[in-house]
Amino acid sequence: MLKKLLSVRTILTILLFFAVIFAAWSAYYKVTVWGFSLKPKQVSNIWTIEAHIAFEATGEPIKVQLSVPTDNREFKIFSEDVVSEGYKVKYLQGTPKKLQLTSGAKEGLQNIYYRVLMFDNIDTKGRIRSQAPQTPEIPVLDDQRMAVAKEILEAAGKQTGDWPEKVIKTFRQTPPDPTVVSFLPMKKTPKTVAEAVRTILALKGVPTRLAYGIRLKENKTALSPDLMLEAYTSGKWKIYNLKNGKQGLPSDFVIFQRGGDSLLDVEGGEDSSVKFSVLKSVSSSYKLAGKRAELADQKSWFDYSIYSLPLSEQNTLKWLSIFPLAILMVVVLRNVVGLSTMGTFTPMLISISLVQTGLWAGLACFALMLTIGMLIRAWLSRLNLLLVPRISAVVIFVILIMQILTVVGYQLDLKVALSAVFFPIIIMAWIIERASIIWEEDGASAAIKQIIYSLIVAVLTYFVINNESIRHILYAFNEINLVILLLVMLLGTYTGYRLTELRRFVPLVKEKK
Amino acid sequence: MFGKWFSSFVSPRELRAAGVMGMNARNFKVISKLNNRKLYPLVDDKVQTKILANQHGINTPGLIGVIEHQHQVKDILNIVKDYKEFVIKPAHGSGGRGVLVVKSYSENCFTTASGKTLTYKELYQYISNILSGLYSLGGQYDVAVIEELVHFSNIFQNYSFQGIPDVRVIVYKGYPAMSMMRLATKASGGRANLHQGAVGVGLDIHTGHTLHAVMNNLPIEKHPDTGVNLLSLKVPLWREHLEIASKAYEMTGLGYLGADIVLDKERGPMMLELNARPGLAIQIANLVGLSRRLKEIDKHYPKGLGPIERVDYVLGQLD
Repeated sequence: MLKKLLSVRTILTILLFFAVIFAAWSAYYKVTVWGFSLKPKQVSNIWTIEAHIAFEATGEPIKVQLSVPTDNREFKIFSEDVVSEGYKVKYLQGTPKKLQLTSGAKEGLQNIYYRVLMFDNIDTKGRIRSQAPQTPEIPVLDDQRMAVAKEILEAAGKQTGDWPEKVIKTFRQTPPDPTVVSFLPMKKTPKTVAEAVRTILALKGVPTRLAYGIRLKENKTALSPDLMLEAYTSGKWKIYNLKNGKQGLPSDFVIFQRGGDSLLDVEGGEDSSVKFSVLKSVSSSYKLAGKRAELADQKSWFDYSIYSLPLSEQNTLKWLSIFPLAILMVVVLRNVVGLSTMGTFTPMLISISLVQTGLWAGLACFALMLTIGMLIRAWLSRLNLLLVPRISAVVIFVILIMQILTVVGYQLDLKVALSAVFFPIIIMAWIIERASIIWEEDGASAAIKQIIYSLIVAVLTYFVINNESIRHILYAFNEINLVILLLVMLLGTYTGYRLTELRRFVPLVKEKK
Repeated sequence: MFGKWFSSFVSPRELRAAGVMGMNARNFKVISKLNNRKLYPLVDDKVQTKILANQHGINTPGLIGVIEHQHQVKDILNIVKDYKEFVIKPAHGSGGRGVLVVKSYSENCFTTASGKTLTYKELYQYISNILSGLYSLGGQYDVAVIEELVHFSNIFQNYSFQGIPDVRVIVYKGYPAMSMMRLATKASGGRANLHQGAVGVGLDIHTGHTLHAVMNNLPIEKHPDTGVNLLSLKVPLWREHLEIASKAYEMTGLGYLGADIVLDKERGPMMLELNARPGLAIQIANLVGLSRRLKEIDKHYPKGLGPIERVDYVLGQLD
């Protein structure tokens, strides 16, 4: 007997162990890859970047090309759209990705808005690769400039860091190095400096390109794009800040365009400009999870998870996924604590109603309905009806009570009465029936005791299932329900004393002494 | 205050040391291992129990008739026409629920044991309620059993406030393991459930003499309503009681059962009903842990004996 018991328990314990490992792994996967959070209502930042293109149409056919961002190391595109009246919109895939707008001849000031929603890309850092570029051609310089360039290279050699860093630092010395100054054109713009840096690096054989992007700062409008330098060193594209030579992409930087092309090309227009505005908004983790998974090439996994369902179905399942824990509570309270309740799962069903009605309003309404129901039931029992018709009559009375309470509650604006409809009709009827039978057979105290015990279990369960954090975790990491299942089964082999028995059997210990 | 509240509990270790069996241990280690579920109907249905008992030569109150269908209810007077008194009970009732004792009757007046009178219409309604499942668990359709009235031995007069003083014997693997008598009180409303305030009298399984009497978990000496001294209670024909209990094992095949036995003035001990899930209150009445008793039986008692030999063995043992 003992051997058999041990084996069942051992098997369940081993399964529980695996379930815990699986749940932990799955939770880890969901947090790291799908971006789920452990806290409820956790949101991911969504950046709305709006590029406002403005130009004066000159009366010729218009063609506008704007380099737009693609998914990258730090950010991913959630959605993009264009507001442009009378333009044909086309996305040109390629490097860089371009938004192309064409239209016939137009006159006057043109305003085009391109909006892209991006979110933090926490899941696929380093996944996006690019092909190795060709070694750049040695720039053609006249002898004098070549000599200056070599001098700069020599000076750069004394700087720290890798070559791009060294060169940028050399260009950005304060006070400016006279050699550098002589190498730069008269009109110094970020672009001309960048081109000069590229020339020097080309001499060193380092492939480079320019990148336009913007910094994400909350609620900034009218931002001009920033220029960064990308250099291909030790098998990777690295990005450098042209102001100080610092390597690495600032975490808030979104690249719109790479390569030498300009950010914006306008044909058939003049005085073109592009200004950016950035807006931070938030979105729930679930909403983004699908998008994240899709982009992380794990779509097939995600397709078969709950989170790929439409939101209404998700809400239903979210509701369902708290039940296993409530059931575990019932098992523990009955088999470990030893509270005897009215029906096994009745308290759980009451607690679910309480979640919808709110605790106090729900309890008050429950008490009201139970009282009215039991008074009616007392009258019914005098009529000596047969069982099925009698319980059916109770069911109908419960429906009538609910209707009356709801109407009265609505008219008097009483929340307590309004919550009546949330209680399951049949369950209410059975509670009334059972309580009445216990009342008649075992007396009022026994009936009240059972009702109170049931309510204690219901309220305890209510506090667990109404906890937003617990609900979130049970839904987002629903494999925990597997652990709960095995815990429930394991409790099926619990042969220890119930808490109430420690009191019930007191005489067996105390009277003996 | 909390200290006092805590002192009303004992530790699990103390209970284990006392060999007390808890509800979970009973369900998992004993009932689910020893009692095959398909045998339950034999004891849950009083008609089947009675027929089986008669086949095994166990004394039970005689069966007068069975009412299975609503249209048979009107035959009730015809069924009982040869009897002056009778008992109506639901075949699937438990804990004495729905038992109606008719001491005397005429065509339209039925007098019950407590002196209440019912009209024919009320009796008809009462039987209909039994059939509709009022007293059976879960409310499934039931059958009304009509049987002969037991004439309780005068020995038990004043021991119980209303109700039937019956002896409950726990039978483990065929061996009578523990026994008690349950006595209804005013506080228990004439019912014999210990947790409702009935008196539990632990009986020495070897002799049938009182060991302890408990009410509401406290030891008592006298019945609270009748004042009779409970400690002097000695159940006569104890051996016959045990034989009935012991035979119930072969009769049902249940390794753990409770046999409820009443003592009739003329016919001696009779099996009233059997229970496949007997409760644990008997430990309190005996102030002995059931686990300890069952362990002794497992370890030391011989296997393969017949019912009479088992009773001989139990009676030969000293506590």
